[in-house]
Amino acid sequence: MDLILEYRSQLWAGTVMTIQLAMASLVIAVAFGLLGAWAKLSASHIARRLAHVYTTIVRGIPDLVLIMLVFYGGQVTLNAMGAATGLWGYVEVSQFVAGAGTIGVIFGAYFTETFRGAIMAIPRGQIEAGISCGMPRSLIFRHIIWPQMVRYALPGFTNNWLVQLKTTALVSVIGLQDLVYNAFTAGRSTGQLFTFMAAAFVIYLALTGLSDIALRALDRRYSRGVVRA
Amino acid sequence: MTGISALKVDDLHKSFGEHEVIKGVSMEAQKGDVIAILGASGSGKSTFLRCINLLETPNSGDVYLAGEKIRMKRNRHGETVPEDIRQVERMRARLAMVFQGFNLWSHMTVMENVLEGPLYVQKTPKAEAREKAQALLAKVGLSDRADYYPAHLSGGQQQRVAIARALAMDPDVMLFDEPTSALDPELVGEVLAVMRGLAEEGRTMLVVTHEMGFARDVSSKTVFLHQGEVCEEGPPANLFSNPQTEQFRAFLFRMN
Repeated sequence: MDLILEYRSQLWAGTVMTIQLAMASLVIAVAFGLLGAWAKLSASHIARRLAHVYTTIVRGIPDLVLIMLVFYGGQVTLNAMGAATGLWGYVEVSQFVAGAGTIGVIFGAYFTETFRGAIMAIPRGQIEAGISCGMPRSLIFRHIIWPQMVRYALPGFTNNWLVQLKTTALVSVIGLQDLVYNAFTAGRSTGQLFTFMAAAFVIYLALTGLSDIALRALDRRYSRGVVRA
Repeated sequence: MTGISALKVDDLHKSFGEHEVIKGVSMEAQKGDVIAILGASGSGKSTFLRCINLLETPNSGDVYLAGEKIRMKRNRHGETVPEDIRQVERMRARLAMVFQGFNLWSHMTVMENVLEGPLYVQKTPKAEAREKAQALLAKVGLSDRADYYPAHLSGGQQQRVAIARALAMDPDVMLFDEPTSALDPELVGEVLAVMRGLAEEGRTMLVVTHEMGFARDVSSKTVFLHQGEVCEEGPPANLFSNPQTEQFRAFLFRMN
C-alpha cells in the first residue's frame, strides 16, 4: 500500500490518460458510427457500399495491428504524401492522436451496426406519422428517431463502450503512458508487478462501474413510455 | 357546386415495379364531403390514400389542395419527385392522416403526441396549443389520459388519440386509412362514433374502410375501387341498394 501511495502520481496520470483516450476515441467512434449507420440506411448505392467496406475491413483486423499500422505507417504515409504534393511539410503523428483516432475508427464500425439496428427497430409507422403531419426531416430525426434510437442502442452501446475502454490499454505498445503503461513501469522498477497490476485492476473496475451507473441513468431517461415486463 | 374543391385528385397512377396498382383514379371532394373508399384488399385503396399526401409517390397524376397543385418533377432517373419539399410539407400539414396501426409516438405522452404538430410544425404559442389539445382530448373522451403513454392505452383509445393528434393540425382534409381494421371488435364503435361526430360538424374526410355501415350512413359519397380503378361511385343510398357491376355486388355479398 505504501508503494502504491509512493507511485500515486504516476498511477493518477495514467488513469487520467486512459480516461482522456477513452473519451476522445468515444467521440470519434460515435461520429463514425452515426455516419456509418446513415450510410448503410441511405438510398445511395455508393454510400452503402463504402460503409460495408469500412465495417468489414475494420472488424476483420486485430485492433493491435491497426494501431501499430496507423502509428508507424501513418506518419510515413502522411509525410510521403506531403512531400509528393507539396501541400504540407513534415508532420509528426502524436501517440495520442494515433491511438485515439485508430480506436475511434475501429469502434465506429461496431457503433455503425449498433446504431443501424437501433434505427431499424423504430416502427416505420411512427416516422410516417411524422411525415404526414408535415414535419421536416431534421425535426423527425430530432424528435422521433433520436430519442427512440438512443434507447434501442443503449445495450449495444454499453457493451461497445466497455470493450473500448479496455482496448485503450493497447496504446501502451506505441509508448503512450496510460494506466497500464505506468502501472507496468512502476511494477517493474520496484519488483512488485503484482501489487501494481492489482491497483490497475481496481481502477479499471471503478471506471467500468462508474460507466455502468451513468449508462443506467441514461437508460431510465430514454425509456419513457416503455412497458417493462 | 361552385368554387374550388377542397381536394382534387386527377388521373393518379402508381406502380410498384412492373405492377400497376392505381390505374388512373380521379376524385374530388367538396368542403364537408365524407368520401368512403371501399374495395377488396389489393384494390389499391390504401395506396391511393397514401399517394395523396405523398407517403407514396405517384408515377403520374395531380393532387390539388384547395386549388393549389402539389408540384412534381422528374429526376435524372426519370422518377417523379416533389419539386419543392417545403411545399409538400406545407400541404401535408393541411392533410392530416389517421393510420390503421395508430402510429402514435411511443416515447411521448398522449398530450405530447397531440401537441407535437401544433408546437413544432405550426409554431403555435404553447399556452394556446395546450388549451386546444385539452379541448380535443375532451372531444375524443380522453381528458383523463393526457399524461399516459400510448403503451398504456387500449387500441380504441390510441386511435382516438391519433384522431385528436390529426385534428390538432386544423386540417382542411382528413385522410383515414382503415382506422378500425386493427381494433378488437368491441372497440370499433368508440372510434366510429368519434368519426361520425367529425362528419356531422362538416369535416372533409376521405375514409378507406371496411365498415359498410359507416359508408352507408355517414358518407356523402361512396367510391368502390376494383383492381386500381374506380368501379362504381355515387351517393351511398343508390350505390348500396342498386349495385351496377358484378364486382361490387360480389364485394357487398362477401362483406355482409
